[in-house]
Amino acid sequence: MNSLMARLQSGKGYLLSAIIVAGLQTVILGTIIQSRASILNNGAEVLLKTAPVDPRDFLRGDYVVLNYDISSVRVQTVSGGIPAEPGEHTLWVRLKKQEDGFWTVIESSFHHLPPLPETVILRSQPFYSGGLAAGDSIRVEYGIERYYVPEGQGKPIEEARNGGNVAIAVRVSPAGSAQIRGLLVDGKPVYDEPLY
Amino acid sequence: MYRGRLERDLSLWVGKGLLGQETAGALLAEYDSRPASFSLGRVLMALAAVLLAAAILLVVASNWEAIPRLIRVGVILALIWVVHLAAARMLARGASAAASGLLIIGAMSFGGAISLVGQMYHLSGDEQTVMYLWFAIATISAILFRSGAVAVVAGFLSWASFAVYLENYDTHWIGLDPWMAPVMAAIVIGLVRYTGAERARHLAYLLLIGWLAWLYTLYEEIAVALAFAIGGMAAFVLTALPTRSVASLVRSAGAAPAFYSFLVAAIGFLLLHIEIEDGWRLVVLGVATLAASVLAIALHGRDNGAVRYLAYTTFAAEMLYLASVTVGSILGTSSLFLFSGLVVALVAWIVIRLERRFSANAQGEGA
Repeated sequence: MNSLMARLQSGKGYLLSAIIVAGLQTVILGTIIQSRASILNNGAEVLLKTAPVDPRDFLRGDYVVLNYDISSVRVQTVSGGIPAEPGEHTLWVRLKKQEDGFWTVIESSFHHLPPLPETVILRSQPFYSGGLAAGDSIRVEYGIERYYVPEGQGKPIEEARNGGNVAIAVRVSPAGSAQIRGLLVDGKPVYDEPLY
Repeated sequence: MYRGRLERDLSLWVGKGLLGQETAGALLAEYDSRPASFSLGRVLMALAAVLLAAAILLVVASNWEAIPRLIRVGVILALIWVVHLAAARMLARGASAAASGLLIIGAMSFGGAISLVGQMYHLSGDEQTVMYLWFAIATISAILFRSGAVAVVAGFLSWASFAVYLENYDTHWIGLDPWMAPVMAAIVIGLVRYTGAERARHLAYLLLIGWLAWLYTLYEEIAVALAFAIGGMAAFVLTALPTRSVASLVRSAGAAPAFYSFLVAAIGFLLLHIEIEDGWRLVVLGVATLAASVLAIALHGRDNGAVRYLAYTTFAAEMLYLASVTVGSILGTSSLFLFSGLVVALVAWIVIRLERRFSANAQGEGA
């Protein structure tokens, strides 16, 4: 080990170190990009109604907060029981298209849901739940709660969101990961969302 | 700091004829040639690198539409490759200051790149994972290039990661993530030992102390405060033990372990004072705090200035506090100060005797 490190820290070895470090970063970034692009490309499409501030992330810039109708899941839809003990849980929800074109929760479960035709299964992010006494709905996030916009351009979208005219098109992978495909105001996309 | 004192002492010794002028010059030159010693150029280079990296991070955050995002990803990836390859060339040539700067930019750019991807795909809720990945990359880079500068970056990233945790979970303890703060502190200390970035050690210790303070906010109980006081003092005494394995580990870490373990104990005593306000328990606590300060001075006061001043401060604060709470009347205050004066005189006598023993020991070792 020591001789290996010593060899790395000399002339040519530094080059190898550089290739390892830069290569590792490239692989990580490439993996994330590819995993997201593949959902965009192959995922099942659902349209979600947002019940929509101009916050700013230090690293990712301005974004619009998105709060979905499906973000609060009614307890009556839960099948297979609610875990009694407090702890970290994941909720799977089954979405079905309504007559108005938006998708809504028809079933949810703390266990894997089997796929059914004309429905899409979405997996929530792990969240802390205090157990049975959860009230009549469960708040969950899906990792699609932010829409990043160019600096200073969040206001018009927010106004439209507050007017209830914003919808989000989402692609969902077979494993239930959600990926925002586009933001629609009055049914029209505001920004191009290329695969890469 | 140290260089100034060294120079003063050397000229004093030269003046007294203990040391030749040439030897003094040679000693100072040897100190200046150490890579860890302060070099203005090196520091400015690191600052420039931090500024450049911040510029990159902010360009990403601005989500600038003029550049298509695939090009943005391409540019930042190209930047990562260029700075690492250039750093490798610089190191091979021996230009270590420039290499450190480039490596800082490389480690910081990864955070920009991964944020850019998050922005492209509108990801949310993955901030903690991003911080883990970023810290891991900085750690790997610090190890492979044996770079103290990147070890410092890793130290700051460990703070950022803990801050992201506290924000995401609203400062509650959930799951296993809270353990990452002490794990990262241990990794940073490992990096410090491996890369020789001595000053970065404080980043790890401060993270640990912040983490402990957070634990106390979770369980505001006397037991936790008591654990800080007792655990801190136990660790402190451990640093003073002459056992060979402990001693060599502690000595190579300098003044930090003794100081920070005593700081934890002092914080514990402070919290205990908030919990315990009167009665015989306050008297016991007061005496214990004073005794701990005296013990600290006795064990490390001679060689460790930081411990000495913290112990003085603790001692003085405790005296003032006891004077202000336990007595109601002027006569009561007076008798307390009389008593305190006698106690301090006794302590002084003990300390003087201890110091004599120290110097006798030192001479014994020298002989």
